[in-house]
Amino acid sequence: MAIRTSTQRRALQGVGNGVLVLMLLWTAIPFYWMIATSLKHDKEIYGYEATLIPQRPTLNNYATVFRETPYMLYLRNSVAVAVGSTVLSMVIAVLGAYAIARLNFPGRALLARGLVFTYLVPTSLLFIPMFALMSVLRLTDSLHGLIIAYLGFDVPFCTWLLMGYFKSVPVELEEAARVDGCNRVSALVRIVLPMSLPALVVVTFFSFTHAWNEFLYAHVFTSTTSARTVTTGLVNFMSQDVFFWGPLMASTVMSALPPVLMFLLFQRWVVKGLTLGGVKG
Amino acid sequence: MATPTTVSLPLPSSRRGLRWRRDRVQRFLLRDATLGYLFLLPALLVILGLVAYPFASAIVMTFQAKTAGAPGRFIGLENYRELFNSEQFLRTVFNTVVYTAVGVGVKFVLGLGMALVLNQERFCNNLFRTFLLIPWAIPTVMSALNWRWIFDDASGLINNVLVRLSLIDEAISWLSNPHLAMFSVIVVVVWQGTPFFTMSFLAGLQAIPKELYEAAEIDGASVLQQFSYITLPRLRPIFITAVMLSAILTSAAIQFVLVLTNGGPADRTMIFSVLAYHLALGGAQRLGMGAAVSLIFFPILVVFIVFLTRRMLREKAGD
Repeated sequence: MAIRTSTQRRALQGVGNGVLVLMLLWTAIPFYWMIATSLKHDKEIYGYEATLIPQRPTLNNYATVFRETPYMLYLRNSVAVAVGSTVLSMVIAVLGAYAIARLNFPGRALLARGLVFTYLVPTSLLFIPMFALMSVLRLTDSLHGLIIAYLGFDVPFCTWLLMGYFKSVPVELEEAARVDGCNRVSALVRIVLPMSLPALVVVTFFSFTHAWNEFLYAHVFTSTTSARTVTTGLVNFMSQDVFFWGPLMASTVMSALPPVLMFLLFQRWVVKGLTLGGVKG
Repeated sequence: MATPTTVSLPLPSSRRGLRWRRDRVQRFLLRDATLGYLFLLPALLVILGLVAYPFASAIVMTFQAKTAGAPGRFIGLENYRELFNSEQFLRTVFNTVVYTAVGVGVKFVLGLGMALVLNQERFCNNLFRTFLLIPWAIPTVMSALNWRWIFDDASGLINNVLVRLSLIDEAISWLSNPHLAMFSVIVVVVWQGTPFFTMSFLAGLQAIPKELYEAAEIDGASVLQQFSYITLPRLRPIFITAVMLSAILTSAAIQFVLVLTNGGPADRTMIFSVLAYHLALGGAQRLGMGAAVSLIFFPILVVFIVFLTRRMLREKAGD
């Protein structure tokens, strides 16, 4: 019997290796095509001389993006919106999560439920009334408007994630601090926050990449170049006839880089955070 | 901290009274309930202002003829009536169901396969895992743009390779052929979304105690039996959570279709979010109609959302 299962295992390992190779190719080829295209001359991109591997690699496409398009502006807008919404949602979420995790008051279970519920309501159900709201408040075409709009997603998610983490910080530590003269606020700042560093990292990663990647609100609320973020900016490039795949892929590579680097950097924590909460299906 | 004894002092001097009041204010502010509501106030404002209010106003809007910036005019159920009589809407319902069911289904199967493979022991496994997760970290719009170029009729990667290998004579219109467009869109959805399932399932697999498999081995259970009697039942809770979460997010994701096909050809890839977008923000700006399209799908979503809310809070409580 044992022999039979060990043969089975060896066979499975072989199958597994085969599947793995296929999966790696399936994942890698689109990346390859994106990067390869960004490094080609137009001649190698289109027509009869099109190549699969860049014969004479060039950075011309990257230069074109910076020289002839407002890409720098989009980049700056994306950074501003991502940083702004991350900082704001972090502060709001830390306070809210601490309240739900540690303080005793009527209605907190209901509020916790409300938070998760709102996190799960997708933006594609909300973008039409949000557009109307933003128009009335004159927050369309503005980075402030986007920062505020993103809180609607970031705050519920971050609060929920931090809530679980705060609960896992031993209450005794905090009680000891309070005996020594800390009040609630200083206990939060001096004890709970330092102990929750991994969760804070995950939360930062999520709200930053969310703002960086977000498309629908950014697309719907902005109609001029001045407030476009990278995602809407690139889609807008596509609708202009003059813009072609070389520069477009160059800007795609550059725009995908920050979230990918962040992911690689914080991978261990992010994977753990994701399996707890989960965003982006 | 001042003690309540100060309260019983008759006729406190004015300085004392001031201190007494300040202490009282401080103590009131630091009481759990006060502090709790105070801390939660910003979060509550966000929820009310950016989710609850827009949602409520969406419901009102569906009964109105409304354009952006102008007040709506009440027209009763007219929007809904028009939708249900429109062939485009019925096609959209069908498409959304197909798109979501096939997309989630394929992601599930591939994700489970990938997780099982990554759960085996091998050289450099962590490296492979990291690499396979990268599509999840890439902004979805970037993936969609990249794939639009891969599918390109004239010079895209797929046609390029197929022609080189002489498998086809003429370029295939992956995104503008009515029979292929939905398939192509789902390919992209799967490419982007599988890592989420892989990650979730892998975490689940790693949480299963090794002893279970050892015991089963001793009892002579085959690998297949171990899989169906240990692995599958243990993963079931994660299956349900992942599928529901993905169903909500997949059905609502607008970027793929908007970038790849914009709902065409002939509405073959029109899903509800894109139709809502076109109705509300295309030329006619019929916000009420757009909101109605979104809301018709809400009852289905809400079942998933309520179920997931409960589950996610229960998991948190068990931490």
